[in-house]
Amino acid sequence: MIEVKGIRKRFGNLEVLKGIDLKINKGDVVAILGPSGSGKTTLLRCMNFLEKCDEGQMIFDDEEFAMASVSNKKIHEIRNKTAFVFQSFNLFANKTALENVTLGLKVAKKINKAEADEIGKKMLDKVGLEDKYNAYPSQLSGGQQQRVAIARALAGNPEIIYFDEPTSALDPELIGEVLRVIKELADEQMTMLVVTHEMNFARHISNRVVFMENGSILENCETDKFFNNRTNERIRSFIANIMQKGE
Amino acid sequence: MSILKLLADSFMRILLPGLRVTIPLTLISFVLSLIIGTITALVQFANIRFLKTLARFYIWVIRGTPLLIQLFVVFYGLPNVGIVIDPLPAAIIVFSINEGAYSAETIRGALESIPKGQIEAGYCCGLNFLQVMWHIVLPQAFRVAFPSLANSLIAMVKNTSLAANITVMEMFMVTQQIVARTYQALALYLELAFIYLMISTILTKLQTYLEGRFNERGIQR
Ligand SMILES: Nc1ncnc2c1ncn2[C@@H]1O[C@H](COP(=O)(O)OP(=O)(O)OP(=O)(O)O)[C@@H](O)[C@H]1O
Ligand SMILES: [Mg+2]
Repeated sequence: MIEVKGIRKRFGNLEVLKGIDLKINKGDVVAILGPSGSGKTTLLRCMNFLEKCDEGQMIFDDEEFAMASVSNKKIHEIRNKTAFVFQSFNLFANKTALENVTLGLKVAKKINKAEADEIGKKMLDKVGLEDKYNAYPSQLSGGQQQRVAIARALAGNPEIIYFDEPTSALDPELIGEVLRVIKELADEQMTMLVVTHEMNFARHISNRVVFMENGSILENCETDKFFNNRTNERIRSFIANIMQKGE
Repeated sequence: MSILKLLADSFMRILLPGLRVTIPLTLISFVLSLIIGTITALVQFANIRFLKTLARFYIWVIRGTPLLIQLFVVFYGLPNVGIVIDPLPAAIIVFSINEGAYSAETIRGALESIPKGQIEAGYCCGLNFLQVMWHIVLPQAFRVAFPSLANSLIAMVKNTSLAANITVMEMFMVTQQIVARTYQALALYLELAFIYLMISTILTKLQTYLEGRFNERGIQR
């Protein structure tokens, strides 16, 4: 469905991505793990062109192109087929929950208001916010805001959703409600690429794990295989370390 | 003729040009200055290189020269190169260009105060730059800039008295004419000051009311 080859990205002298190859099939839930600063966020941002990478090819829906010289039209086309859920929610502060969800439909996809509202309400219902249509972001808890963000992502009917640590900014007691929503999407075969520090989430919901370190992919394998890793010392200590912190 | 009677008689004679000239001059110039200021702020925010340089140049020149001289250049100066503009349009042009340079800076600051994440989220929803600006950034930036813009509007009402210098028949000009006939300078200029004070007070009240309305919607930060 989507594949990238040889993504390289540097900020000044710092090479943050050193040749990333990644292929995601329809229905995959891929967890990206790795220590802080390893380039996970940057990879996601490059894949949605929020950041322009220096080198790399992308194959999206069987069409291959160079990512560094991609046209604005192509970026636009890809953004209409993908969605992004941010660590800090990034809801539009001047819009209600429903307007947050429908803005892209109305403005970018030119769907009329009645139809957009119908889709928007359906999406908010799906994430359990049927009573919050008219609430502004400042009136919602972090968990609710992130669920609005997920509803907003779903509204455009994307082929893939990118999540960048969707629960990292949340109080511990609010993490569960967001993870439950993501799990439901996984059960419905939604294709997702999720950067996370939640080991249990990665273990039980993803079907593949990508482990990044220092701008490279160290391991990319099935989830079971990853967590039963006996050979790679670096990965074993990473898992042990995080599990310990989580307890 | 008693002073009281003079004041009563002149009140409407001064207020009428206020309603017919001063207030329309202020409102039209202010709306135009907002459009100029917003565009000037946007081209800087969007980082369009050539236009950004042009914007900085415009702001530099306008903020660095007196408003009165700008009025003289346009009204008395431009006829030397064959451009003759009537007093009122000339005043509108100068006031909107002048205020535009100031509001551009206010609006630019407000634009920059909107979290970048919301802009990125807008792009991810498939919006383009102008759509993101129009639906997400500008409405919020306007609320941030509002108190400062409202102050500028009040300042502008008072500054329109400068237009008397280029023969615009606004309140100051009319008062001067009455003074010239009656020699009651103190009473009449105090009366004029009082009328400006009334207009400013109404605008200040309106500002407070509108700010309250914005905050009610839970959008203040
Ligand atoms: N805009 C930027 N300018 C300069 N350096 C940056 C920029 N964005 C990221 N970096 C650097 O790139 C490296 C990778 O950052 P990135 O945010 O991708 O890491 P991450 O794996 O997402 O980390 P975390 O788990 O802490 O979120 C870091 O060293 C970071 O300081
Ligand atoms: Mg990150």
